[in-house]
Amino acid sequence: MSRFFARSDSESEESSSDDEITDKAPGATFKQSLLLSDDEEDTKRVVRSAKDKRFEELTNLIKTIRNAMKIRDMSKCLEEFEQLCRAFLKSKNIVDKEGIPPFYIRLLADLEDYLNQLWEDKEGKKKMNKNNAKALSTLRQKIRKYNRDFESEIAAYKENPQESADEEEEEKEPEDSGSSSDSEGEVSSKSFLKKKPEAPSEATKFLKTAKGSGDESSSSDEDDDDDGDWSPSDTGSSSETSDKEEENALKRKRLVTFLKVQRAQDTEKPGVRKEERKKKPKQKEQIEEEAEEEGGWEKVNRGVPLVKEKPKMFAKGTEINTAVVVKKLNEILQARGKKGTDRAAQIELFHALAAIAAENNLGQGILVKIKFNIIASLYDYNPNLAAFMKPDMWKKCLDCIDELLDILFEHNNIFIGENIAEDSENLAVSDQPFRVRGCILTLVERMDEEFTKIMQNTDPHSQEYVDNLKDEGRVCGIVDRLLTYLENKGSTEEICRVYLRRIMHTYYKFDYKAHRRSLGLQGETKSEQDQEESKEESKEESKEESEGEDSAVIMDRLCKFIYAKDRTDRIRTCAILCHIYHHALHSRWYQARDLMLMSHLQDNIQHADPPVQILYNRTMVQLGICAFRQGMIKDAHNALLDIQSSGRAKELLGQGLLMRNMQERNAEQEKIEKRRQVPFHMHINLELLECVYLVSAMLLEIPYMAAHEFDARRRMISKQFHHQLRVGERQPLLGPPESMREHVVAASKAMKMGDWRTCHSFIINEKMNSKVWDLFPEIQRVREMLVRKIQEESLRTYLFTYSSVYDSISMATLSEMFELEMPTVHSIISKMIINEELMASLDQPTQTVMMHRTEPTSLQNMALKLAEKLGNLVENNERVSDLKQGIYGGYFNRDQKGGYQQKQSYQRDQKSYQQKQSGYQRGGYRNQNQGNY
Amino acid sequence: MASRKESTSVSSTAMASTGGTLDSPVKQIQIEGLVVLKIIKHYQEEGQGSEVVQGVLLGLVVDDRLEITNCFPFPQHTEDDADFDEVQYQMEMMRSLRHVNIDHLHVGWYQSTYYGSFVSRALLDSQFSYQHAIEESVVLIYDPIKTAQGSLSLKAYRLTPKLMEICKEKDFTPEGLKKANIGFEQMFEEVPIVIKNSHLISVLMWELEDKSTVADKHELLNLSSSNHLEKSLQLLMDRVDDMSQDIVKYNTYSRNLSKQQQQKHQYLQRRQQENAQRQSRGEPPLPEEDISKLFKPPQPPPRMDTLLIAGQINNYCQNVKEFTSQNLGKLFMAEALQGHN
Repeated sequence: MSRFFARSDSESEESSSDDEITDKAPGATFKQSLLLSDDEEDTKRVVRSAKDKRFEELTNLIKTIRNAMKIRDMSKCLEEFEQLCRAFLKSKNIVDKEGIPPFYIRLLADLEDYLNQLWEDKEGKKKMNKNNAKALSTLRQKIRKYNRDFESEIAAYKENPQESADEEEEEKEPEDSGSSSDSEGEVSSKSFLKKKPEAPSEATKFLKTAKGSGDESSSSDEDDDDDGDWSPSDTGSSSETSDKEEENALKRKRLVTFLKVQRAQDTEKPGVRKEERKKKPKQKEQIEEEAEEEGGWEKVNRGVPLVKEKPKMFAKGTEINTAVVVKKLNEILQARGKKGTDRAAQIELFHALAAIAAENNLGQGILVKIKFNIIASLYDYNPNLAAFMKPDMWKKCLDCIDELLDILFEHNNIFIGENIAEDSENLAVSDQPFRVRGCILTLVERMDEEFTKIMQNTDPHSQEYVDNLKDEGRVCGIVDRLLTYLENKGSTEEICRVYLRRIMHTYYKFDYKAHRRSLGLQGETKSEQDQEESKEESKEESKEESEGEDSAVIMDRLCKFIYAKDRTDRIRTCAILCHIYHHALHSRWYQARDLMLMSHLQDNIQHADPPVQILYNRTMVQLGICAFRQGMIKDAHNALLDIQSSGRAKELLGQGLLMRNMQERNAEQEKIEKRRQVPFHMHINLELLECVYLVSAMLLEIPYMAAHEFDARRRMISKQFHHQLRVGERQPLLGPPESMREHVVAASKAMKMGDWRTCHSFIINEKMNSKVWDLFPEIQRVREMLVRKIQEESLRTYLFTYSSVYDSISMATLSEMFELEMPTVHSIISKMIINEELMASLDQPTQTVMMHRTEPTSLQNMALKLAEKLGNLVENNERVSDLKQGIYGGYFNRDQKGGYQQKQSYQRDQKSYQQKQSGYQRGGYRNQNQGNY
Repeated sequence: MASRKESTSVSSTAMASTGGTLDSPVKQIQIEGLVVLKIIKHYQEEGQGSEVVQGVLLGLVVDDRLEITNCFPFPQHTEDDADFDEVQYQMEMMRSLRHVNIDHLHVGWYQSTYYGSFVSRALLDSQFSYQHAIEESVVLIYDPIKTAQGSLSLKAYRLTPKLMEICKEKDFTPEGLKKANIGFEQMFEEVPIVIKNSHLISVLMWELEDKSTVADKHELLNLSSSNHLEKSLQLLMDRVDDMSQDIVKYNTYSRNLSKQQQQKHQYLQRRQQENAQRQSRGEPPLPEEDISKLFKPPQPPPRMDTLLIAGQINNYCQNVKEFTSQNLGKLFMAEALQGHN
């Protein structure tokens, strides 16, 4: 991270150090920084030359090799050795200049010895695994060859290991500590991170001091230095709490050691830097100031890495103005997204920066800008798209956005927009309106998505979910505030987007207040209008807020705006679907249906993207349930058919993944699908859905089955319902129904016999109430509707089934049997007669139904069946002769056209059905989905 | 069906058959009344519902006339006596009958039927083996249901020489049947039956008929026939289904065949082109390959079953036709009677 800082003011930095800094892998820097924890190491904090860098690379490699040697990991050894050779080649010119580094020779000698020794050890070799053994022999050969080049040096070393060892004394230490830190890397990095939260306080402390002492005294410089020190070294952080004198004394000591290192190679160091922001350069400064006092020290051949950046921003006494802050901001920003950037630290930096800006009264412009960046980096915190924000991050994010909105509301003269170019921003001049680059809408949208993600990733049955859900209010509040803001300032496009967000948060919620009002007050329409005039935005989910717009009114207003103004198709589609959903949820069936039919969404929804298709499916289901509540059984059935018949309702509604083989879906797809899931609080109850579907199927299918009992080729209205019936029949022992399905099946059986009372008791009872019916808002009305439907359909079924045993039946009896009023019975029977379903006539004076025996006898039915079969036979036969002759005989065609009456009437039936069905086209999500797999 | 002979009369009066011009060694069958009664009794006692009873016919051949003078039943098969030896049983029975001076020439077998469903593979196979061994063998089909309705139904069938040929060769492929030029009509030939009684019995019959009142014959005028028709239709329908299936099978076969032919053709063409090219380049032509190995022709479905089904359907249709024409006659009669009254 720090290397970017270095680069930012590279104009003042000399080339060698620049080179060294940029070329170093951040990981290595980090590791090295850990080495600094002991005081001695502190002294080596140095700007390294190319030589240092190379040598450090070598020593690092050597270290790993030694480690590998210790654990007898030959393959690792080999690998590292090869790297070492390469690295050595790279640093050839330096080696030429400086001579072969003794530590290198030492390693070569040691390694060879070690390998030979290992080679001799037959027992040990046997124990080695194959890879290692192989690596050993290869390595042995290699090193033998390699060492020929260094024979003299190695010989020298072997002669006098002591001398060489001396040289490496200092080498050894870092090696050891390096090896230990290697294994502790994680722990220490954690501990490092743990330290981070202290940063802001530190920063403010720094700021205080910076402000307190106006002049650039040397003591404050030292102070500065100390502040800089604390982070990498434990002593530093402890020293900060100790009193000043001690601190200073300590510091001096450290400085001395530091300087002696620095001295030798610092002669060509650049001059004073104007704005030192990092500790390292600052140290350099001090070095230069105090260098003269101290004698030269021998150079250290180990480079000391850069120090982790600290939340300290500005050199003390720097005049903090907008330009400086912006520059700083950009520096921080540049690190964004880079590997090895500590994102948490970055966020802290931003916060500190914001605090500085606020403290220096730099104006709202800069503050807004920083806020934008804070939020953006909060979003950045999780590199993985699937991961969700941690609660504290989330809270911070919400707070930030809230604050940002506060600022925006307070200061009317701030213009924000994504199309404001970076250089045309106006952050400083307060008499002109501020212009800030950034899009609050995108941030809020992102926040909304994050919220969804959080909800998706929380166990819906935990208290945590409820807690998270409480944030919904805040999210809605933010969306609302943004909406008000954008209504004044934003473009139509933006308004559309924010409206959609608002709609998305509204459409699935049942408006209890409005519901209660519509039940209670008659003059509700008027008050509604009043509210509309006042245009007061309200959070409908906060129920205690008594005065609030009906969500219906809000939906209407927002959606209509989108219909009129939106130019992207997607927003409009979503808005329409949400609108329909909302209508359906509040039992405004006709509006919902008309909107659905007018939008022609059914025709092209299969071209939409999966989330929209899921929304479409949800809407269809809600529409179906609404139709059911309204007693439009057929519509309900048709709307639900597509979702239910697939048997994948759960998946189509985005409420869970079906268990499937991995071959059908790899991990990647699974992740994508998981991201599509609808959060739990928006789920549509699947059991309710299925029950509604099955009951509507029952109400349609049972009379139909009774009417067409003798037909040869009976069409099924609902396959799924039949499946359930079959499952019920297969049961060897029929106990009292337990599940919802069993209830429906039992009810169907009762209805088949025309026994509506039993049917009723199966459909509506305690169990079913608690399972299904209580989920409806207007339970009582739905139940009444259901009872009535059951009575009517049972009557029809009864007439179909038993008409053959009656010559005539009194309508009074029927009305008594089915507890229906006479006129209803009359109308049902009349309808059946008109539709030619029942061969009967009404005898008005006696109020009886006279049956006419026009039903075909079983013999006639049989003959019809036979005729149909013969037709098939002829068809098949025709095909054979077609194949033989290759000519299409006319016979076949004629035959089909001639048809059999029965067959035709089926087709008619079927056609009329299809017509009805075509109103609700298949859900496209499924089709496309299948394409995906 | 060159000569179909209906034996509709109730009385066992001998009926002279017009006789067909059959080229088979048997042109006429003369059955003793005793045999008829025995067969009827056998079914009455042993067969219930759709159960089928079978037995052996004994008699002798006189010129081109087969005289069936006696018969004995096969015992009903049950699972317990799986090791029951039919051949031995037959031989023993015949030997015993010879001891009591009964004709012991094995001249065929008889079988009861359920609504006329007898044209089956089993019947074909056993009749083939009979006719193969004893040329004059016939199979008598007795329809108890029709008989119960008042008209004795007893028919004698033989396999046509054509069918005999095919069965001998066991070639039931479409090609084989096509070559033999055999249709379902030419599978069985019906042999006219004459039932012969002794004069004393005839006299008795006449006397009985004289004495019987009209009420005894009311059975004949029964109009309620739908049950019978329904059953026949049901059976007919089943057969039609089978037929459909067979046709579909055959259809697939022929489609596959033609597809393969096409492929074969293409392959050959390609081969030829290649060879021509090679020739022009002076290379030797590709070696000949066994094409039949490359393109294994699909297994042709056996067609005999289809033929049998067709024969059976034909049989049902005849039955239904007969039945309905009779019924229509009765209905007209009833109408006339009503009008008269």
